[in-house]
Amino acid sequence: MRWITLTILLLPLLSFLLLIGGRKWRSRGLVAGIGVLTSYGAFHLSSYLLMNMIQKKTQVVISMPWLTLSDQVVHLGIKIGALQAVMLVLVSLVSCLVQIYSWGYMRDDERFPVFFAYLGLFTFSMLGLVSSANLLQIYIFWELVGLCSFLLIGYWYYKPEARDAAKKAFIVTRIGDVGFFIAILMIFWKIGSFELDAVSKAVSTGTISGVWVTWIAILILIGAIGKSGQFPLHTWLPDAMEGPTPVSALIHAATMVTAGIYLVAATFPVFLASSYALDIVSYIGGFTAIFAACIALVQTDIKRVLAYSTVSQLGYMMLALGSKGYVEGIFHLVTHGFFKALLFLAAGAVIVSLHHEQDLRKMGGLWKKNRGLAIWFLIGCFALVGLPPFSGFFSKDEILQTVYMDGRIGLFVLALITVFLTAFYVFRLYHLIFAGTSRTEQKNTPVPKVMMVPIAILGLLSTLAGFVQFPKAYFSSFLLQGSKLASLTSEAAPAWIGWVAVLFSLFGVGLATLLYWRGYQPAKPRVGLIGWAHRILEQKFYIDQLYHYVFALPLKGLGYFLIGWDRFVVGGLVRLVGLVPVGLSRIASMLQNGQTQTYALVSLIGFILLVIGVTVGRFFS
Amino acid sequence: MTGEFFAFFILAICAIGGAVFMIHFDRVMHMALSLAFTFFAIAGLFFLLDAEFVAVIQILIYAGAVSILMLFGIMLTKHQEKEQTFTRTKLHQWLSFLFALGFLAILMSVIYLAPFTLPAGDQSLYSVNKLAEQLFKSGYVLPFELTSLLLLVALIGSIILAKKEEKE
Amino acid sequence: MQITSYLALAAILFSIGLYGVLSKRNAVIVLFSIELMLNAVNINLVAFSKYGLNPSVTGHIFSLFTITVAAAEAAVGIAILLALYRLRGTSNVDEYDSLKDESDLQK
Repeated sequence: MRWITLTILLLPLLSFLLLIGGRKWRSRGLVAGIGVLTSYGAFHLSSYLLMNMIQKKTQVVISMPWLTLSDQVVHLGIKIGALQAVMLVLVSLVSCLVQIYSWGYMRDDERFPVFFAYLGLFTFSMLGLVSSANLLQIYIFWELVGLCSFLLIGYWYYKPEARDAAKKAFIVTRIGDVGFFIAILMIFWKIGSFELDAVSKAVSTGTISGVWVTWIAILILIGAIGKSGQFPLHTWLPDAMEGPTPVSALIHAATMVTAGIYLVAATFPVFLASSYALDIVSYIGGFTAIFAACIALVQTDIKRVLAYSTVSQLGYMMLALGSKGYVEGIFHLVTHGFFKALLFLAAGAVIVSLHHEQDLRKMGGLWKKNRGLAIWFLIGCFALVGLPPFSGFFSKDEILQTVYMDGRIGLFVLALITVFLTAFYVFRLYHLIFAGTSRTEQKNTPVPKVMMVPIAILGLLSTLAGFVQFPKAYFSSFLLQGSKLASLTSEAAPAWIGWVAVLFSLFGVGLATLLYWRGYQPAKPRVGLIGWAHRILEQKFYIDQLYHYVFALPLKGLGYFLIGWDRFVVGGLVRLVGLVPVGLSRIASMLQNGQTQTYALVSLIGFILLVIGVTVGRFFS
Repeated sequence: MTGEFFAFFILAICAIGGAVFMIHFDRVMHMALSLAFTFFAIAGLFFLLDAEFVAVIQILIYAGAVSILMLFGIMLTKHQEKEQTFTRTKLHQWLSFLFALGFLAILMSVIYLAPFTLPAGDQSLYSVNKLAEQLFKSGYVLPFELTSLLLLVALIGSIILAKKEEKE
Repeated sequence: MQITSYLALAAILFSIGLYGVLSKRNAVIVLFSIELMLNAVNINLVAFSKYGLNPSVTGHIFSLFTITVAAAEAAVGIAILLALYRLRGTSNVDEYDSLKDESDLQK
């Protein structure tokens, strides 16, 4: 089992090394073949591992000493529990599918091998992240996935927007990373170990006091917020859509952004020990969910709608975790990984068929031209909206139940409203793309078959993934096996919640259909409260502008001040230090001008000074 | 206020005035003439000091020969009409003046601090006969002859130096 | 009548000559100033021969030698000046700067 685990990790790394070495290879089939085969290998072995664990209920633990700090030994280790096994399967599967898809999507790209190499590196980092047994190792891979995200957002670096978005993603997530890093340092300080097991043990035995637990939890949460695009660090995620669409699907929807959720889940005992931390998690999650859903209502870029939807769904997961819904959060993470990847890949197919047009206002009428794509997209939409029997229904329903049972009725109401909003914007999106008639003159290009295969697979998974938890809770029992978290499973929530949620969804779907059935209506001049609200939503609540004025500009001013300080004060001193000897030596060299009179004058001065020096003492003694 | 002092005063004024004018005149020719005037005044001072022979030699050599030589020097080289002192830096001028003054101050302080209260020598000591006697009969013969050699060397040297170089 | 007056006069003339040597541009004037300084020395010699510790004509003899050497100096000086003038085309002292190392201080 150990070798299998190591092989899972090393296969994508092998792919990365091969492809970055062979980045001049012309054969696209070879390049894509390497990427797909290695990630499929990783997926195959991960599934084997998962099956094995389901049957034997074991864990894989690999550990070797790494650093010895006086009396503490830091281990380099891998620990695959139930959560980790699920994450491995999810990551390797989506990675494999996305690479198949990229074969078609990126076929005209100049740096085809580099793209696959980056995807390989990302897959390796993400697999490493979820299989790490200690926080230090998690942090290393955490930064590595951040780097991959940066590289892939900025993949089309000749586009200024892509460059800016890559920088923004890197810098904004850095804020969260600092929080996470401080949390790691605090843990090592207070507990003396980086191991996740040691942390949960220390919390359960009460080795660290309540205040410290709260602080550590909050700092970990800040890291998670940065990575998972939660309010107020969400601004980078929509901008990250400047990257290629497969990247959006893999990194910014299905896997990397869920790293924050994973982190909270992996350190869940810390959160459970502090009710404040749980409060903060759930409020941030709930607020982000409805906040992002509102913004998604009015966006006109197909990928941005999906990006805000991702932010909103990640908010759901946070909400679930904050309401002690460990299983529910992970469950939604998995199903969301499937259906959001499906939606992004389908959106990529839409974009390809419309000659890289991303503006919703110029789409429409695709239903008649590409029936297959429309159906798969519709499945993704149903899953996201949460209509039975699609997977989103089960996971979202469980989240709503958890929130209700946890007793935060306000958040429950917010979540319900978000369900309605989600349904509305998703079907607005769907109708704008597929309904009505085409609003662009360009002819459609056919979508390559190789792109449709992953869409179909993900479509099936989105449809069926919900049944791991229905009719019997197989998923929770597997996830909680041998875990102390098992005690969390509470009594069943009232059944009406599911029905109400479906009702809200249907209401949203219906309203969107009513409004957008005929396609996009050119904007009427909006006045009054609605126009005002619309403007605010269009500007994403002015968060970017706020950050620009509150953080970016003062820092820029400080930067200019420091430049000035450096150039004039420090540089002036340096120049002064240089000028003094130059001036002195210039005076000295002026004396050496070769003119007799100057020499004579200097001799005279010397003579007089000598006489004065010799005799002056006489007048004072 | 003896007659000697009066004569000294007049001659000293003339000598210093000539020297100052030599420094301050603009035209080179005027400078040469004012210097000749100073030489004459110094010759007068020599008379006052009972050094008639030296005074005459002074007039012959300095006021005559050297001044004429200088005038030739002036005429053989090209000069600006006016002496331009401003091309040299002001600082140099001021430092020269200041330290020349300082030098003068040192000399003056030495002169006036020294206790010179000696009687004047008898006038009969300073006749030309005595001078010749001293010069030729008490060991100054060899230096005197060497002086003539020096003059010869200077003569030849000056001719060679001032001669136009032949074109090769 | 005291020797100090003569010495003071000689000092004044010497200083004026010194100032001229240091500050005048024209080489001929510099030579003039040197002659003036030598004359100031002569005044001292003659004055000491009359008012000195041992009054005698030796001072006169010394001043005669000085005058001779000064005459020779003036002649050679003027000759050198003419040669330099032919070489450089100027009689300004501040343009005679060949004492300077020409290789690295051309400016």
